[in-house]
Amino acid sequence: MTVPSLPRPSAAVRAGGRPRRRLRGDAPAAWALLAPSLAGILAFLVLPILVVVWLSLSRWDLLSPIRFVGLDNWVEVLTDGRLGHSLLVTVLFVLMVIPLQTALGLAMALLLSRGLPGSWFFRVVYVVPWICAPLALGVVWRWIFSPYGGALNALLGTDVEWLSDPDLALPVVAAVSIWSQVGYTTLFFMAGLAGIPTQVLEAAALDGAGAWSTFWRIKLPLLGPTTFFVLVTGVIASFQAFDQIYALTPNGGPQGATDVIATRIYLEAFQGGFNLGGASVMALVLFAVLVVVTLLQQRFFAGRVTYDLS
Amino acid sequence: MTSPEQLPTPRGRRRPAGIAEPLRAAGQRRRRLGDAGAYLVLLVGAVLTLGPFVLSFMTAFKTPQQFASESSLAPPDPVTGENFARLFAEGGFVSPVVVTAQVVLVVVVGQLVFSIMAAFAFARLRFRGRDALFWLFLATLMVPQVVTVIPLYTMFTAVDARNTFWALVLPFVFGSPYAIFLLREYFRGIPADLIDAARIDGAGTWRILWLIVVPLSRPIIATLVIITVVTHWNNFMWPLIITTGPTWQTITVATAALQSQYNANWTLVMAATTVAMAPLLVVFALFQRHIVSSISLTGFR
Repeated sequence: MTVPSLPRPSAAVRAGGRPRRRLRGDAPAAWALLAPSLAGILAFLVLPILVVVWLSLSRWDLLSPIRFVGLDNWVEVLTDGRLGHSLLVTVLFVLMVIPLQTALGLAMALLLSRGLPGSWFFRVVYVVPWICAPLALGVVWRWIFSPYGGALNALLGTDVEWLSDPDLALPVVAAVSIWSQVGYTTLFFMAGLAGIPTQVLEAAALDGAGAWSTFWRIKLPLLGPTTFFVLVTGVIASFQAFDQIYALTPNGGPQGATDVIATRIYLEAFQGGFNLGGASVMALVLFAVLVVVTLLQQRFFAGRVTYDLS
Repeated sequence: MTSPEQLPTPRGRRRPAGIAEPLRAAGQRRRRLGDAGAYLVLLVGAVLTLGPFVLSFMTAFKTPQQFASESSLAPPDPVTGENFARLFAEGGFVSPVVVTAQVVLVVVVGQLVFSIMAAFAFARLRFRGRDALFWLFLATLMVPQVVTVIPLYTMFTAVDARNTFWALVLPFVFGSPYAIFLLREYFRGIPADLIDAARIDGAGTWRILWLIVVPLSRPIIATLVIITVVTHWNNFMWPLIITTGPTWQTITVATAALQSQYNANWTLVMAATTVAMAPLLVVFALFQRHIVSSISLTGFR
């Protein structure tokens, strides 16, 4: 039964034929439906951005009244080296985590996509860390790395201070981060591999391409969009990493070795100094860095992610 | 047995069977060797993934005496529940579990209802400024949590609502741009004829949404429920900042606090991490198939 054949079309149907009236007819309902989430987004996502800009221009230690100080916080934070140090630590952390996490995720996905019996089991197992609270996992790993009754030293028969050695702390923290995210990355590469048309792989096989050249010349290029997605979300998440690092090495780690930007912002605002103005400056710098990183990644991949076989 | 890699080799297709046979045998041998290697790597990966969980659960069920005297790799002997008893009695872990469950419940219901409403408006209704508003919603996805926690803290301080239940839920309960985005995509796929037919039958927007669109969207809603439960059960930074003292501590904040209070008391601390992780692990075990496929579907992190 089609709409025009009905004997008495209702008002709504007639309005459907004329977009202009429909436009006005839907508006009250639409705004009523949107009201709660719009209010929430304005109050808890948009307003905070305005507030953080204003806070970055003010001095406040949670006790005395808030005072406008112009660019004082900006000058202070951008010159005193703490932010620079944290950004450096964060970049090092990201550089340790992202390449390994991506490569391992891809490798595991290639193994799982061989279609071996039991692949499902491994796929499920690898996702387990993703489901757990990063904070709780951080505490578990803190025990594993602990020099007193920790599992790793017991396993290796060593006596290493994994988390209090300034040279070891950051790689160790990065390793935990990789551990908890490889499975998640694997899932995306598996989805990407499943999306490669079998005809393409068959054609390559007919042309005599081996596993090696099939991977480099066909699978990897066709995984472009997946790799892009995994890299963008991975870099953004790693730049903001907090829970696990906080659990493993509170207060920025030995000699500030794991003082990533998110920890620095937290410590600056809520521990010791209660310097909310300075913390706001850092938060805005982080925001800017993330926007720039995202745009750079987009530009880098713009010429490469062109394969759309869907 | 149906993997694309097990297609007949090109040589096997072109050459007469007599020549292809030994070649195929060699290929199969190589493949079998490759499969064995793959299993080995996958197995190492599984052991590395599950090892920390197994070790921490073992520790949670050990007596402090055994933990102090034996290797930390030894299995619990005797198996004891005393760490959990102590955790709930002395460690005050009942309240964090209850608070977290309440927060998760309120956030899941609120976020889903309000997100569904907004997503329907974006997907199915026409109104002036729709696209611009949708872009505003999408743009807020770019805002990192670290950036908003400080101003949110200031705002809740200004209205004297720090360390309350409302402070824990309000920033999240009105819907999430991410959920709205995913739901909108899904709603757009629902045939327009169905909705038009309901309109003809006299159903209003509200009834169409809850009686037709929502039942048809069960898969994506189930996915969002899982994602939201996981996110808010595990949420740490905001509860850490906005709560003080034990009253409104969530499970993650309580675990972190316990860890710093009972520093070397690892059997007790591992009982806490077990309590923090167990509920989601059970949910995961029950719905793993659905959860695993929804992660790659939605790109949720």
